[in-house]
Amino acid sequence: MNKKIWLLGLGVLILLIFSPFWGTIHLNWQTIFANDSNSFIFWHLRVPRVLLGFVAGSILALSGLICQNLFKNNLATPDILGISSGAAAGAVISIKFKLHFSFFGMGSIYIFSYLGALSAVLFIFFMARLIKNSSLYTFLMSGVAINLFFSSIIVFFQYVFDFSDTFSLVRWLMGGISVAGYKEVMILSVLLLIFLLSVFLFKREFLLISAGDNFAQSKGLNISNFRVFSFLGLALFVGAVVSTCGPIGFVALIVPHLSRLLGASQYTKTIVFSMFLGGGLLVLADLVARILIAPVDIPVGIVTSLLGAPFFLFLLFAQLKKTN
Amino acid sequence: MIKTSNLSYFIGKKPILQDINFSVQKNDFVLIFGQNGAGKSTLLKVLAGIVCAQKGFISIAGKNIHDYSKKELATMLTYLPQSDEFVLPIMVKDVLLSGRYPYRSLFQNFSHRDHALFHEAVEYFSLGDLVNRNILTLSGGERQKVMLATAFIQDVPIILFDEPMNFLDPGSIFQMIKMLQGLQRMGKTILLVSHLIEYFFPYASKLLALKNGKKYYFGEKKFSPELFKAIYQVDYKRFIVENREIIFVNE
Repeated sequence: MNKKIWLLGLGVLILLIFSPFWGTIHLNWQTIFANDSNSFIFWHLRVPRVLLGFVAGSILALSGLICQNLFKNNLATPDILGISSGAAAGAVISIKFKLHFSFFGMGSIYIFSYLGALSAVLFIFFMARLIKNSSLYTFLMSGVAINLFFSSIIVFFQYVFDFSDTFSLVRWLMGGISVAGYKEVMILSVLLLIFLLSVFLFKREFLLISAGDNFAQSKGLNISNFRVFSFLGLALFVGAVVSTCGPIGFVALIVPHLSRLLGASQYTKTIVFSMFLGGGLLVLADLVARILIAPVDIPVGIVTSLLGAPFFLFLLFAQLKKTN
Repeated sequence: MIKTSNLSYFIGKKPILQDINFSVQKNDFVLIFGQNGAGKSTLLKVLAGIVCAQKGFISIAGKNIHDYSKKELATMLTYLPQSDEFVLPIMVKDVLLSGRYPYRSLFQNFSHRDHALFHEAVEYFSLGDLVNRNILTLSGGERQKVMLATAFIQDVPIILFDEPMNFLDPGSIFQMIKMLQGLQRMGKTILLVSHLIEYFFPYASKLLALKNGKKYYFGEKKFSPELFKAIYQVDYKRFIVENREIIFVNE
């Protein structure tokens, strides 16, 4: 596994270095130091875009992994539980109602995304409280319901309100990392760092909770407190990514799955491996989005879903074949 | 060590446990039995502090169970569920070390004693080949062995077992029994829920029979065909072979 991590890290590094050169306009290394439009494209459009892809992909992969840990279910990821669509609905509301303000330097879109993600999380908890003796199944089912609910809210606002900014909204909802600058990269990088730190700091707690409620409780973990705390954090990270890049599907679902399939089972290694894999995959998907039918710049969310869905099915079949 | 008085537990209006009173001494091996749905598993969960009884109280080592913090309680007793719930890959080593969780605060690393207990357990339960494996690749018997070893590493005076021998082959069951005996010799108090009374009767020191959520019998172990008949509606017979007590169903 150590060898695989190094190989993957090396691969991602090479990808990060070379992918800014490719796109609608192919650049070579001489032009990037010249003081012209090409070097502007390289340093101010491509590089932040690639970096943002890596950081956002990493956060998505980690949030998927942690979510699966908390629910002990491979399907429980922020997209399927409705946390992502909650964040997207929040952002749509803030865009549609032109709520522009900032709070401690954070834009209104981000705050509304976070509130959306948070309300999805709270709703799932509320459902679980309402139905006594709720199992993880209840959590999952209410997550699926809230996912549909927020998706309809998005469509509703798109339909009812004026069409002037519908195109840009639809474009945003497809998920993209093309409009980013260094500020977004910085913010998400800091969040990724906090995420990583807490994931390592609470290693023992996450291990216990992934081993089952009874096991965790018999070892003295206060599971309900820990769950609440984790979900508040998760909403923060997912909200940040969604508000910057729009809802990008499948990364959170596929990456942890793929890491395990490739043999990651030790906690720390799974975390590191998934982080590199998630970041690398999103950068790769964005590269495909840029060059597939250039000069059209396909939203990266479409690429991840288009390639992600069949790939995920392939993984499922491969796994079923292995177990049979 | 454990004392309960008028312990009652309801789900909605339905009583699951009613007025359970008993007291267990240090180093007892209590065999808890009763029909399906008699409330055995619920009783263990209440004793483990996982669910909370609406009436009555439990004292653990002379202190009310509610006066313990979750971590403190986990240094007094541990609970092993009917079947483990592992669905995600975890290294056996991490599972074992999680037994030391209640002794560590957030920033505290595992101590010398933690690692010493870990190595002791690996040797005692002969887990040498398993520690670096993923728990999901282990057989049922191996997993139970790991769970038992985790309880050992947790270093608690009281161990609560809920049907730990489900789905195990006879060889593995006897291996488990030997390990349980070992734990008892170390001075631990064991409460074990099982239908396999033929296996455990010879090793128990006390019996607790539950019927419809009520205590039917609690006391020193004695062979009583009437008691078994009342609980399971079948006749049990006893043999003494080579100084060993053997009971079996005689139908």
